[in-house]
Amino acid sequence: MPRLSPLQSPVTIDFEGQQLEAEAGEPLACSLIANGEDLFSRSVKYHRPRGPFCMTGGCSNCLMRVDGVPNVQTCTTLAKAGMRLERQNSFPDATVDMFAANDLVFRKWFNHHEFLAGIPIVEQVMLRIARKLAGLGKLPDKAPDELPPAKVEKIETLIVGGGAAGLAAARRLTERGASYTLLEREPVLGGRLLASAEQGLASVYEPAANQARLGATALGLYADDGQAFVASTWKGQLHLIFFRRILLALGGQPTLLPFENNDLPGVFAGRAVARMIRRHRVLVGKRVACVGEPDEARALAKLITSIGGEPVAVAAEPIRAHGLQHVTAVTVRQAGTGSAPEQKVACDAIALCATVSPSFELARAGGAKVIWDTRHKVFVVEADAHGRTANPNLYVAGEQRGPMSTAASAEMGLLAAEAMLAGGAS
Amino acid sequence: MSKALLCSCEDVTTSEVEHAIEKGFCDIESVKRFTGFGTGMCQGKQCLTAMARFLEAKAPLKPEQVTPFTPRPPLFPTSMATWASASFDPQNAPAGGIPPTLGLTAQAMKPTAPVKSKAKIVIVGGGVMGLALAYNLTLRGETDVVVLEQGYLCAGASGRNGGGVRMQWGTPTLVTLAQRSIELMKRFARDLGINVWFRQGGYLFLAKSKSIADRLEKGAKLHNSFGVPTEILTPDAAKDIVPQLSMKGVQAAAWNKLDGVIFPWPFLWGYAQACAKKGVAVETFTQVTGFELSQGRIAKVVTDRGSIECDTVVLAAGAWSPRIAAMANVTLPNEPHRHEICSSEPLKPFLGPLVSVLDSGLYFSQSMRGEIVGGMGDPNEPAGMNLGSTMRFLTRYSQALTEQLPELGHLKILRQWSGPYDVTPDNSPILGRTPGVSNLLQMSGFVGHGFMMAPAVAERMAGWMATGQSDELFERFTLGRFAEGRMEREDMIIG
Repeated sequence: MPRLSPLQSPVTIDFEGQQLEAEAGEPLACSLIANGEDLFSRSVKYHRPRGPFCMTGGCSNCLMRVDGVPNVQTCTTLAKAGMRLERQNSFPDATVDMFAANDLVFRKWFNHHEFLAGIPIVEQVMLRIARKLAGLGKLPDKAPDELPPAKVEKIETLIVGGGAAGLAAARRLTERGASYTLLEREPVLGGRLLASAEQGLASVYEPAANQARLGATALGLYADDGQAFVASTWKGQLHLIFFRRILLALGGQPTLLPFENNDLPGVFAGRAVARMIRRHRVLVGKRVACVGEPDEARALAKLITSIGGEPVAVAAEPIRAHGLQHVTAVTVRQAGTGSAPEQKVACDAIALCATVSPSFELARAGGAKVIWDTRHKVFVVEADAHGRTANPNLYVAGEQRGPMSTAASAEMGLLAAEAMLAGGAS
Repeated sequence: MSKALLCSCEDVTTSEVEHAIEKGFCDIESVKRFTGFGTGMCQGKQCLTAMARFLEAKAPLKPEQVTPFTPRPPLFPTSMATWASASFDPQNAPAGGIPPTLGLTAQAMKPTAPVKSKAKIVIVGGGVMGLALAYNLTLRGETDVVVLEQGYLCAGASGRNGGGVRMQWGTPTLVTLAQRSIELMKRFARDLGINVWFRQGGYLFLAKSKSIADRLEKGAKLHNSFGVPTEILTPDAAKDIVPQLSMKGVQAAAWNKLDGVIFPWPFLWGYAQACAKKGVAVETFTQVTGFELSQGRIAKVVTDRGSIECDTVVLAAGAWSPRIAAMANVTLPNEPHRHEICSSEPLKPFLGPLVSVLDSGLYFSQSMRGEIVGGMGDPNEPAGMNLGSTMRFLTRYSQALTEQLPELGHLKILRQWSGPYDVTPDNSPILGRTPGVSNLLQMSGFVGHGFMMAPAVAERMAGWMATGQSDELFERFTLGRFAEGRMEREDMIIG
């Protein structure tokens, strides 16, 4: 049922001995959800059951051992025939994990700083137990294949992020005859244009093939010898890209809202639910509680309705999730009404719609200023209307500057491109 | 049970953060260290905003006090094989890095109340040295003490080191100090009520050249004479201790099973908490801006929160000490040298000891949380205060580590950071009195091993200060020795 379209190129993957059908090239996490499996891992201290949340490589809920390599994010690892997936950090297995007793013993939290501190012998025993319980995955089975030597490149303009902002900038640079290289972490361009619940989205601009790199992850902005470069992986090779100017348009990551049991399998970021519907044709459950930020929640509810799902508790404020190993209901109250009565609503999944957290890390490493946006309560990169930052060669556009629509992101991308063309670079 | 998670990677709940706030940890950097939030696989992508909102509401933080913790590269967990595929110019000096740490001296976090105007002893530097000294002074009844720390607790090198603790040193002084430190670390939880996760997994030194092998052998004889059970092992015997290790090129190994690894941060919290209970003022986010000198002594310590009239000043600011000493017209020969370090994804325990290749300066161990924590000194690192991170380091470290343990090519690096070694011309500390400034005492210059020496050194120093009885530590390792040409060479330095 969760698959909205028939498989195009089915492959078989091995999930702890079960043979499951998957769509080649989709995230492994989607394959498992489509097969009705959402208990992916056990948490580090309390061994709480966990399932995918962000679907963008921004949390640890979906880690598994894949083909003998521990702690692999299954939400960003793409399915190939014959892949072997195993859950980690549980005994005897993830569905019946003995160590989940920790969660019952330490009801609210575990004071690891003071627990049994200084009690002779007992503390030694505790140390030994703590050591045994530490870590997630086991040491890899064998050494990896050697990578080809890293490639060093020198370019004029680097754009990181192929969403609305990055693509708008790319289009403007192309129109003006300027060259650039664009890095997109996902296997397709478009970002939110292809993956969000937002209405009235623009079409995706396609840069010339030699200017856009798909599946290229920017890992860091360094200046080892004083000259700035971005380290990036692409097609199994490390690339060190030296640039004269850079536009960062990485968007943001889903934000967690702290309500009770907010980590239960079946609690997803709102954007993760939209992405799975639009990009991967997988619906996370029939009845989906679309809670949190009203605009995004309503847009998501509309998308879910359009494909035959049933949105519930739309735009309500989440109080607690219910369920033992999977969401079965959510207690909510009407948003903005602190004293309104709580209401328990049955559901198969919870989509947590929350203001996105801007990805400011690279901008900060490049010398841009990061400030607390008191209106949206997120950290944003400080920049002027054209995306100019404290570093004259570093520009930002899109949701790194705060939550905004794709149209607004694209507009910022255009302005930043204009500024880069006008400003040259020192 | 019904927990509300603020950081799901490290299982940090709202109740745990409320406890941290009660303990006085309110800013993001401090809460990160006290609760561990933001140190897991996501490195804050999912939790940082949620935590900032929570602290703003509960701590409460003013909007200008809400600053993110320093983002640590890489942006996504990335395998050592990837970093190892780059090359580096061994002739080059690593220059840049990310800009200076946010929040280390955050103006916004500075308390508004002035510091007290008078104290018997002012300790400059709230790292492990300064806090351990203050704690030991309270044990001797001296509580009229102020500790001045420019940042949050753990902001300096005490919060940035790998936690290695060893008795394998090259001089009798350090061997015996380390022995005493390890004794004190073992009972730290009993004395101060906080777990420091001391695990005696041993130190395994590998030598790849004859001269280093000779040095290990000479060291073992010295250690044995002090009752330290260091053994010289053949490469085969060393492989029995860590079966995954490649012994290619290894000529000999030195092994002391009593060495180990601690978790550095709780030492600072433990000492600071015990000091505060006895009435010592531990002033964080407070900077020394100068000294009022009069008749060859310091009359007042001037801070950005007022001046403190005092009898004695102790300089325990680690790599920042020369800068502070200069304010009293004292020139220290120490130089800060950046040392980079990184931490990996958590693996189930497999690595018992801390392993170090003394030839290259590579070292690595497995923390109580399962991460592989390690680093490698860079012979080209120029002197200077630089807390940035380079990719060059990841490449050098990954190449060296995967040569030793090839399976770790898959190991994903989660974050890298750096800290300043406090390097003296002879690798030995600077302790005792200061020529020309009669009431300024020195307690710095511990290169990269100040953390492990602190409990024992502070105990001795408090005794010396309180009783006035002579102690060779504070007569041999004086600042004056450099002018007199009396060097005290230590050569068992990693990196």
